[in-house]
Amino acid sequence: MVLLEAKNIKKHFGGVAALSDGNITCKKGKITGLLGANGSGKSTLSKIVTGVYLADSGTITYNGEKVCFRNPIDAKRAGISMAFQNLSLLPHLTVWQNIVLSFEKTNRFFLNNKDAKELSQDILDKFLPNFDISRTIGQLDPSEKQLVEIAKAISEDPQLLILDEPTAALEQVQVNALFKYMRDLASKGVSMIFTSHRLWEVLEICDDVVIFRNGKNVGELDFCMNEKCPDDIVKLITGETETIHHIKTYRDIADEPMLRIQNLKYGKFLKSVSFELKKGEILGIGGLQGQGQNELMLALAGNYREAKGDFILKEKKINLTKPANAIRCGMFLVPGDRQVEGLMLKDSIYTNIIFPKLAFKKQPFFTPIKKYKEECQGIVEKLAIKTESIDKTVDTLSGGNQQKVVVGKWLNFDTNVLLLADPAKGVDVGAKRDLYAFIIKMVEENNMSVILYASDNEELISYCDRVLIMYEGRIVGELSGGDITEESIISMSMQVDVRNGEGA
Amino acid sequence: MNIRANIKTNGFGKLFSRQESAPIVIFIAMIIIVASIQSNFFTPSSLKNSLNSFAPLILMAMGQAIVLVSGGLDLSSGTSMALMLCVLTRIMKKDDPVTGVWALLVALGVMLGIGLLNGAAVGYLKLPPIIATFATSYIWFGIALFVTPTPGGESVNWMRAFFDFNAVNNMPDWLKAFGAVVPTSVLLILAGCVVWYIVSRTKTGRYMYAVGSNRVTAYQSGIKTAKIQTTAYILNSFFLLLCALFFTAQNQAGSARIGDPLTLQCIAAAVVGGIALNGGRGNVFLAIIGAVIMSLVGKIIFFANMPDAYQTLVSGVIIIIAIASSAVYSTLNERAALRGGK
Repeated sequence: MVLLEAKNIKKHFGGVAALSDGNITCKKGKITGLLGANGSGKSTLSKIVTGVYLADSGTITYNGEKVCFRNPIDAKRAGISMAFQNLSLLPHLTVWQNIVLSFEKTNRFFLNNKDAKELSQDILDKFLPNFDISRTIGQLDPSEKQLVEIAKAISEDPQLLILDEPTAALEQVQVNALFKYMRDLASKGVSMIFTSHRLWEVLEICDDVVIFRNGKNVGELDFCMNEKCPDDIVKLITGETETIHHIKTYRDIADEPMLRIQNLKYGKFLKSVSFELKKGEILGIGGLQGQGQNELMLALAGNYREAKGDFILKEKKINLTKPANAIRCGMFLVPGDRQVEGLMLKDSIYTNIIFPKLAFKKQPFFTPIKKYKEECQGIVEKLAIKTESIDKTVDTLSGGNQQKVVVGKWLNFDTNVLLLADPAKGVDVGAKRDLYAFIIKMVEENNMSVILYASDNEELISYCDRVLIMYEGRIVGELSGGDITEESIISMSMQVDVRNGEGA
Repeated sequence: MNIRANIKTNGFGKLFSRQESAPIVIFIAMIIIVASIQSNFFTPSSLKNSLNSFAPLILMAMGQAIVLVSGGLDLSSGTSMALMLCVLTRIMKKDDPVTGVWALLVALGVMLGIGLLNGAAVGYLKLPPIIATFATSYIWFGIALFVTPTPGGESVNWMRAFFDFNAVNNMPDWLKAFGAVVPTSVLLILAGCVVWYIVSRTKTGRYMYAVGSNRVTAYQSGIKTAKIQTTAYILNSFFLLLCALFFTAQNQAGSARIGDPLTLQCIAAAVVGGIALNGGRGNVFLAIIGAVIMSLVGKIIFFANMPDAYQTLVSGVIIIIAIASSAVYSTLNERAALRGGK
């Protein structure tokens, strides 16, 4: 039985067509995967179905009736709820207040807080046992926030649940718990739309998939009838007839140190981290999520005044107590949360790319705008950023292109060390490949080094010369060359876990 | 890496890591200072006088707090209060008690009008609150000048109950006795607290925090943000009406200019109380603490026998210290949490 059918949906933002011909069909009690590169229109379609955006044209049939949701409230009343990728939680309210938000039960006039707390605890127990629901959202870490967001969508008792990249911020255990719960819901007749960049997740959980490219759907596969074939799906997503795998080349790295770090300490996040980075090396930082990798990157970029330790760059001792110091030393951070930490979203691409130059290089009294615009245009072309013009604001770009702007900011400078904190998070397969290809080219041409933290082990395996594994703020292992494999990384990340378990 | 998540959340640590604790500490310190320089501070008559002189700022700060929580700001609170005061004193005739009722009804209408217009400008037209209420403040001031061009007007006798029960002629003796112990200003503030307590336990109250926290997100969650913001401005108007009634009863005359200095003072009071200017945090009770701190600053300067020229300067410095100390307090807490980690 078909629950929802969207046909020929069109949506324009300004002059850009986000969706030119969107079609999707959801069957009752089935999980439909929605796949596509960033900017292919899948988020737009989800938002049209949930009433956040209004379609320019096209029809949506829901439960056999033609519907047109003018706002999210209408869609929720009709039983469609969505867990947003850019979370829809309110930072100052508590977890339980967020979960019941806009669906509060009342005793006549007053809020029924007791029921609300019980309901929230019940739902969250399935993913996060013993979770303190009276904390505010601002106090949670990203994976907890994501789970609360999902719990919020579930608490509305939907018939159709849309999960927009719910797994990007989660750890494996949490993903498994989520999948178990999704199967439960499906068996109760709830339909779901599931978006993810991780192909194997889609293969594991979905009953059928719809693939989007450039604003229209280019293929549908029903797993009940077809074989699950990842290669076919990748071809449909990228639109290339042949999938190109990155072929790893083992580069010769001179035994010349670029950066030496000794006894880096920061609160409970980093406990005496020491390592050496060689010239021209791509050094990976791996491990389970939240073991201090993010803090390490931020400390190296000079974000923590309280961080202690010795930093030696090219034989010279440097001081990393301020971001400005790090920048002067040629150490640039491409932060994990690009929308908050890396970009001025409401400003143009030009402003974003040029401002570090304005801040750190000697400037003539009148800014030569024309010359800088040309330079900026050059950078945009070099990085193949997809945009109409460099005067467009950054928030009109897709995730992958936004990340390129963050990298582009530093192309005006001589780089010694590029710090990449999960640069490919939420970036699609094609853009990811472009990004890394460009970074490798930069490394080879400019004689610089890279420290790469990636939550996806595959990136570490494909692109790093050496990988350090972190656990609870310490470096617990080192892999290099051919030893960097999925198994070795995972076993090293977990091994400590086992040891600790025995010790306790 | 959220630092705040790691602040100790048990017992004593929790008490002192809460944001509210800084204004409370300052509040207690201020009381101690004032009590030590004004020896009769704690005598009933002196307390009553202090409360009466603090009451207008407290009531206005309470209203401001509600608007701030819902993500707004009201730069018109002083002039809208003055407008209601002018309307009240203009309509009433000293010897005709019925005019008091008419005046009250009209003032209620004005209260709704002010709240609706401010709320509509911010909520429905989505104008920035600073600009919208700055503009409306001129409208209210203009109307107030039209109603009462020069300070004046009169008040019916029973209206004086809003200042002191003993000033009303036919008041029953037991109420007079009660009024001698508990000044009306306290009752007005308590009434305001009760109203807020009730509102805060309803959906509307919860949604004010939601809208203040992030308007777009709140809208996407299905909250009628414009309606909520308008409600907040109307509630603010209600507190301003209470303040206007208090002034009417106290002075039995109105002036269009009386509210001017109070506007920024009540915003500062809310901030001193620890209410975030960007919305989503705080409550009416913190505003009371903030307003009392602000009022005590004036008292300390008065009793310190400072030359006039220095008084405003010093009060500015003290306010900065009060606001900064709460910021310093939370920074210190975060540092401590960082060090305390294993």
